[in-house]
Amino acid sequence: MLGTASKREAVHRPGSADDLGRNRVLDGDGREVALADLWRDRPAVLVWLRHYG
Amino acid sequence: MQLHRDRGEFEAAGVRLAVIGQGTPDHARDFQRSQDVDLPLYVDQDRASYRAAGAKVGTLGELLGPAVLARGLRVSLRDRVRQGRVVGHAAQLGGVLIVKPDGSIPYAHLSEDASDVPPNDEVLAAARAAAER
Repeated sequence: MLGTASKREAVHRPGSADDLGRNRVLDGDGREVALADLWRDRPAVLVWLRHYG
Repeated sequence: MQLHRDRGEFEAAGVRLAVIGQGTPDHARDFQRSQDVDLPLYVDQDRASYRAAGAKVGTLGELLGPAVLARGLRVSLRDRVRQGRVVGHAAQLGGVLIVKPDGSIPYAHLSEDASDVPPNDEVLAAARAAAER
């Protein structure tokens, strides 16, 4: 139901942002942005929402 | 979290704010309009960054259990947010990471259930500390 997990999962805090930084997302205009670009020049607060809604 | 209400304080601290959600850029723009949010919004259609950030998919109880619903209601009242239509994977949970230019992660809060959202003050204090070090 709702794509829920059948068993309780654990969260996994990454040790560093090396792998995370290689992920790409789209900005509001549909342009690809590498996550690493967001913290290249200063710290970034990244918030993953459950969903837009 | 209501980051946009404290956006000025985060920016004054010298950090960049970025909000990542599921769906399409159109969904992000709809969200921006409906929630009156003035923040940089990004979308991750395949949720790869959620997995890389360490976020999890919730069980039914972690989404809709009585304690979760009660806590979620308190958080909604605290942050004055209203729930809209779900876009994307409904059981995907979120989280907050602060990442420094050297790739270190001095702060992480990954949601254990749908009501588990860190207070803005906690994130702002961590952001200030990250910018000072």
